[in-house]
Amino acid sequence: MRRRACGPPRLGQDSLLPATPEPDAGPAGEPAISRRIAALHLPWLPVERLCLTGFAAIWTTEGSRRALVAVSPAAAAAGLHPGQALADAQAILPELALHPHVPEADAAWLRRLAHWARCITPLPALDPPDGLLLDITGIAHLHGGEEALRRALVARFARAGVTVQAAIAGTADCAAGLARAGVGIVVPPGEAAIAVAPLPLQALRLPPASIAALHRLGLRRVGDLLRQPRGPLAKRFGLALLATLDAATGLRPRPLRPLRPPPDFLAARDFLEPVVTREAIDATLVVLLPELCRQLQEAGQGARRFLLHAFRVDGVVQLAVIGTGLPARDPRHIARLFREKLEGLEPGFGFERLALEARACAPLTAAQAALPGEGGASADTRRQSLAELLDRLTQRVEVWRLAPRASHWPERAIFRVGPFESVLPPPGWPGSGPRPVRLLRRPVRLSAVALLPDAPPSLLRLGRASWRVLRAEGPERIAPEWWRDRPGRPFRDYYRVQLVTGARLWVCRSGIAVPGEETQWWLHGRFE
Amino acid sequence: MISLSDSPPASLPGHALDRPAVLAALRARIARLDRSGARPEGDSLPLCDAIDQRLPGGGLARAAVHEVLAADPGAAAGFCGLLLARARGTVLWIAAEPDAWPPGLARFGLSPADLVLVQAPRRQDALWAMEESLRCPGIAGALLAADGLDLTTARRLQLAAEAGGAIGLLLRPDGEAEAGATAALTRWRVGALAGTGGAHDLGDPRWSLELLRGRGVRPQRWDVVWRPAAERLDLDDAGSEVEPETEVEAMPVQARRRAR
Repeated sequence: MRRRACGPPRLGQDSLLPATPEPDAGPAGEPAISRRIAALHLPWLPVERLCLTGFAAIWTTEGSRRALVAVSPAAAAAGLHPGQALADAQAILPELALHPHVPEADAAWLRRLAHWARCITPLPALDPPDGLLLDITGIAHLHGGEEALRRALVARFARAGVTVQAAIAGTADCAAGLARAGVGIVVPPGEAAIAVAPLPLQALRLPPASIAALHRLGLRRVGDLLRQPRGPLAKRFGLALLATLDAATGLRPRPLRPLRPPPDFLAARDFLEPVVTREAIDATLVVLLPELCRQLQEAGQGARRFLLHAFRVDGVVQLAVIGTGLPARDPRHIARLFREKLEGLEPGFGFERLALEARACAPLTAAQAALPGEGGASADTRRQSLAELLDRLTQRVEVWRLAPRASHWPERAIFRVGPFESVLPPPGWPGSGPRPVRLLRRPVRLSAVALLPDAPPSLLRLGRASWRVLRAEGPERIAPEWWRDRPGRPFRDYYRVQLVTGARLWVCRSGIAVPGEETQWWLHGRFE
Repeated sequence: MISLSDSPPASLPGHALDRPAVLAALRARIARLDRSGARPEGDSLPLCDAIDQRLPGGGLARAAVHEVLAADPGAAAGFCGLLLARARGTVLWIAAEPDAWPPGLARFGLSPADLVLVQAPRRQDALWAMEESLRCPGIAGALLAADGLDLTTARRLQLAAEAGGAIGLLLRPDGEAEAGATAALTRWRVGALAGTGGAHDLGDPRWSLELLRGRGVRPQRWDVVWRPAAERLDLDDAGSEVEPETEVEAMPVQARRRAR
């Protein structure tokens, strides 16, 4: 009885049948597009990140135990393996070069590689800690079929110095399991369950405790597991196990989480020979920009961010980004903005792909051109050219507008806003009292001679220069804003003074003038 | 080939007898040819009546670069603010440390809505920003506060201004470019004059505007007073309440000085 319950059950085949998905038949009978996923497994990820050669290993501490995490191919050939105690490894290979394990750096490198994989598909996803999942739906024909694409992937990563095991299947978990097991095959749609059946349980990343328990039951392959009745399995090992199985067989595939949403508008060029020179990059941009702008125009859209991804042959993606203040799609304008930014690209051994993306899109209607007889530019054209000018300026220098604010404190009377924001001075602004045309960002400390401590100055000194004051208006007392300033901030008495040279200055005395103490005088602005 | 038929040689007054008139006519014709874009007459910024009469085109020409030497930084900033306000449109203030303050400039009619400040700490960035701005037809004026501009740079800016149509102002410290040649259309020196009010009243600002050089104008100096209430620039009459009349401004400066 007991053997019958655990042995290969006859019902197993029946339970397998509904697990077979039929993705090619949609609900209306017409074929639906089935997802195709390429999984990449990077078995030497920590070693290849550090470009380790010879006898080298990476180790970490697990509790009090020091163990290897990864070993270089040479060390593996000498008998070392991950999980081995560090002392054992050193006994086997005394000349072993040891490096500490940095999981964060590995994760960052994996992410970088995932970005680079966007030269193949716009939808790469991470499969931490050592895998990538690429959504290759509908792009296999570009490479001459899925098997050719799989080989191209392996070759491409190998060229960048990364060893990958690749497998292609209809579901991410199936492909990832195959890749981890080192089975480099292409699984036709609908055969995921058959393909994963011979895999060991470790390939599906089941929890180690579950694997140990299943091994005790004599279940060593995924196929063994699939043949079991689902109810007892779920009861014994939890629903997570069934979810993993269903994801692998395609009964209930898990969604991919792409690294970043696909761009709305994209134009890209691949190169047979990597491009290195600036001229080649410029020439590519000359082709890409009109292509992208035509897409934008057909959609009636303009974009405010343009990203140029440059995929280097060694697995690095470099980025040149420009932003515009208003939605734009004029290739000439965007090319001018890119001219500065392309300086930052470092081709190294060359770029194998340049991709131009448009983001932050917004509707943009076509501008009305001025009538030929009208003479001069129309208001729309002028506004457009001003926006383009501000775009160009903001690429290189700092540009802002000043907006008034309801505050008497001179430094706060205006504040910076972006160059594209509209400034509306409130009615009655700038209020009473003459204000200087130039306000010094840092007031200059003066020494002054006044008849009385609270009288206007009659002589101003700055360093060794001294000026006699001809006339003085004031004081105008400006009190600090108690709701904003620190308590005890002194008020200021502002005077408009005119020197004998004719210069008109805005000077202030800070705080109360106390007899016997030196009063602080500041030069804060200049009048016309 | 540019046609010269609009003013045939026969219409020149007095062939060899009136040499100055002939020369003036020829100069005017060259000036017309020299300006690349044919600007309509009157496309210039008025200062005040007396000065405008002396300037070709009736004011400071747009689509050109004008140099302003700041004998007094405040007065020069005020003068530039006045010109930018009268340019009517978006204006840019480019400097290593732009210290233009809209509450003060608003008295010249320059709204903060029209003012864009550009901070360019490096000289080459500032020059680039100025040239790009002047080439843009969407702005009315641009000011560059910089020192040590050479002839080539100024010429570039002048060409850019002719292409774009905006007025360009070069605000430079006084004293450095005394003898230097310039490609700008005019060069002014703006200084402050002591006011005429009492000891506790500064009165309206008074400036000395010195036209040091200009294409087709004679160097001259005016003392002006800015009336903020009327938003008007008047010739200064040295403190008397009489409005400046033609006989005052018609006299050369030296003669007027002697007359006082």
